[in-house]
Amino acid sequence: MTLSRPNLVKLLSPVAVFCVLLAALIAVNGGHGLELPGPSRDVARSGDPVRDAQAAVRAAPGSAAAYALLGEAYLTRARETRDPSLYARAERAFDAGLRRDPRELGALIGAATLAGVRHDFRAELRLGLAARRAAPDLTRPYTVVFDAQIELGRYAAAERSVQRLVDLKPSLPAYARASYYRELTGDDGGAIAAMRLAASAGGTAEGIAYVQTLLGDLQLAHGRAAAARDAYREALRALRPYPAALAGLARVDAAGGDLGSAAARLRRSTELLPLTANLTLLADVERTLGRRRAARADLAAARAQHAVLTAGGTLPDAEAVLFEAGHGSPERAVALGRRVWRAAPSVRSADALGWALTRAGRPAAGLRWSHRALAIGSRDRRFSLHGAVAASRVGLGREADRLFAVARRGRAALAPSLARRLP
Amino acid sequence: MRKLLLALVALAAAAIAVPLSIGSSHREAPNISLDPAADNTDTYAWTAKDAPDALTIAANWIPGEVPANGPNFHGFDDRARYYVHIDNSGDGRPDISYRFQFKTQIRNKESFLYAGPGTDSYDKLNVIQRYNLVRETYRYRGKRGVQVKEKTLARGLPVAPPNIGPKTMPNYQAFVEGAIRTLGNGMKVFVGPRDDPFFVDLGATFDALNVRKLTGNEGEGKDDLSGYNVHTTVLQIPERLVTHNRKAVSGPDGDNAVVGVWSTTERKRLQVARAPASKKRSRTHGRWVQVSRLGNPLVNEVVIPLGKKDQFNRTTPDRDAELYGKYVVKPELAAILNALFSIGAPENDRTDIVQALLQGIPDLNQHKGIEGPPAVDTIKLNLGVPPVDIEDRFGVIGGDVAGFPNGRRLGDDVVDIELQVVAGFLKGNKVPLGDGVDRNDVPFLSAFPYLAPPHDGFDSAPSTRIEPGHPPLPAGG
Repeated sequence: MTLSRPNLVKLLSPVAVFCVLLAALIAVNGGHGLELPGPSRDVARSGDPVRDAQAAVRAAPGSAAAYALLGEAYLTRARETRDPSLYARAERAFDAGLRRDPRELGALIGAATLAGVRHDFRAELRLGLAARRAAPDLTRPYTVVFDAQIELGRYAAAERSVQRLVDLKPSLPAYARASYYRELTGDDGGAIAAMRLAASAGGTAEGIAYVQTLLGDLQLAHGRAAAARDAYREALRALRPYPAALAGLARVDAAGGDLGSAAARLRRSTELLPLTANLTLLADVERTLGRRRAARADLAAARAQHAVLTAGGTLPDAEAVLFEAGHGSPERAVALGRRVWRAAPSVRSADALGWALTRAGRPAAGLRWSHRALAIGSRDRRFSLHGAVAASRVGLGREADRLFAVARRGRAALAPSLARRLP
Repeated sequence: MRKLLLALVALAAAAIAVPLSIGSSHREAPNISLDPAADNTDTYAWTAKDAPDALTIAANWIPGEVPANGPNFHGFDDRARYYVHIDNSGDGRPDISYRFQFKTQIRNKESFLYAGPGTDSYDKLNVIQRYNLVRETYRYRGKRGVQVKEKTLARGLPVAPPNIGPKTMPNYQAFVEGAIRTLGNGMKVFVGPRDDPFFVDLGATFDALNVRKLTGNEGEGKDDLSGYNVHTTVLQIPERLVTHNRKAVSGPDGDNAVVGVWSTTERKRLQVARAPASKKRSRTHGRWVQVSRLGNPLVNEVVIPLGKKDQFNRTTPDRDAELYGKYVVKPELAAILNALFSIGAPENDRTDIVQALLQGIPDLNQHKGIEGPPAVDTIKLNLGVPPVDIEDRFGVIGGDVAGFPNGRRLGDDVVDIELQVVAGFLKGNKVPLGDGVDRNDVPFLSAFPYLAPPHDGFDSAPSTRIEPGHPPLPAGG
């Protein structure tokens, strides 16, 4: 029998689509074959997700799910190749999917994820809530909703989202987010406990490496260098090389005073993955070692990375503000900080803006923003240190001492230039 | 089929990856679309030829283990609970549950190695996982009252290690033998990696739209799971330990002959926000939550719609009729098959499917002594039906009543069987549907633990076996 294309398109309704694709595994003997223009057998399942998804789109151009698949493939490729120009293609694919079916779950969550990657958290929340409405019994939409709520500073709502997530389906994505919520609200022990559950839940090698690295970061922030090193090693046991865990080991080195080894590991990590935060840290370590030229080159590389991201449609975030405050113009950092705060009114943004103000010679204003950063109970060493410096500059000695004491506990996790500010 | 389908075929569900963006790492965070360590892939329950007076169960977890990827990230979650459930009354509630809980030990944390060259015993492994086996027995009073008794059957038994390759493990079989244990009550148990016994041609994904002519009932399908490993728990339990009257089964007509089997995974809930200093965390903090379950193959993957999958995974079989009955009675797949192939599959009132999979076939594997009987997604096995010498991969529809859906043997071709049943085999619409893969890539063992040895990390080639072609077979083989 021959099925006309319009009929097929109608068939590919959101719920039916997975069955249709599933029908792929069904083959019938002669007489019932289906003839349609479409991908040849060689193209089908080439092992290249982008090509497979393109084939799916060609075969079923009316299917929103096929476009969602394509967008997802582009997002994955963007992450693998570090090429943010692929975001635009992902965006077009998700848009095409949502035009065909505004309730297509894969397209909604994919588009929400993309918005989050580009730091457009309001769009992420809007799309995430649409996904939740489309599939109220599924847990997945809660993940993007939580991520957006956190960045938008809506902590009570974020807590409800993550609690729902962990009630419905305790698993790595739920535990890791619970850990992050606890960390932000100052429950450091609880954050470590939840991240341990996430690491144990595991999953893919990359998932394990990622959460073990986060666990290491938490341990280091808690002043437990040995436990942090164990976690980073676990990450590398799961996946090698893994640049984030290498950077973690470098920070353990730096905390122990071995700046030479720290620089070598950071060099290797940033060669694998030129993250601005790690390039900045490397510059910091190298300057401390007296390697000024190398430090300048690393900062230039960090600046170039910021530019690449901006060109790919990514909005600046708190990291960009801190970079500008530390290595560019504090005045520009203040302006940028205000923009970032408007787009993402989170404790991270408040801290960055506060530090920019303090660096720009306005510590009283800086301290007010630090208070906002610390308002939900965070014991973040960087937030605390920024607040302490501002407090001491405006002559609030006791408050400064209190905040310095909090920061000192996380000294191991501080970059050398920040650690030097501790009295 | 099973959850792996969702992973391997780029189905719509696979597009819904869960990003894991925490803090500033929005770009670097990996997407997690699967939870393999908690993922029940398949459950089997049958009467083994060499153990006719026992119930044999294999429950598998962790799909898609590629041996060459290295052994470190394939293992059970130490902080989860793994269950095999037995319902001996037919109400879809567990009467006896076997619980596995694991603990991993790393001897030398400085070493990235799993084991050094020439490792020949458990004592020399750098990473070793062990487990306790606990039996939970349930007594129900009325609708809600439940009493649970727990008994630890064994402590610290070893999980067989991954088969790293001949240099590291010249005698892998010694590890297997060390992991086969007979307990005091006569039960046998094995836990460890094995070849994934499932076999299926996931199809050239988008070829659905221009179907291959030569596959189906003529072989030539590609076994996409060939060469993959899975983690299994194999139990062999004397009948008298699982029947409702604690007696051996006299024959297929015995009123204690039928048992229902399924497997689940649980993880811990936690209360995210800190409770006020005056209070402890809420009562439900730390409570276990079921995150995955598997009874009959195909049910979760094909019958349950995408939006209900999480719910299906956390509910129990006794609620299946109420929550998911409508998806079985009017299966989406039948409509799809008709639209694609015009095969005249009945699309409504599919009580035949409900009976075959969820209620049991009268006078074969339907529970006796319960009204209805309730539609519950368990694998129902009549322990009184003797095993046969030559198994028919089509099971009951092939005339072999010792096979699926009366229990499920390792070699039963559940993909072909279920496709033909959905097409209407039991209502007289016999269409020779199939996926072109008729058997597993490696032979099963005739003795415990039955599943074939795991492919080693040194010499593995996943997804390569092609079923030899053969003349077309009619429906039911």
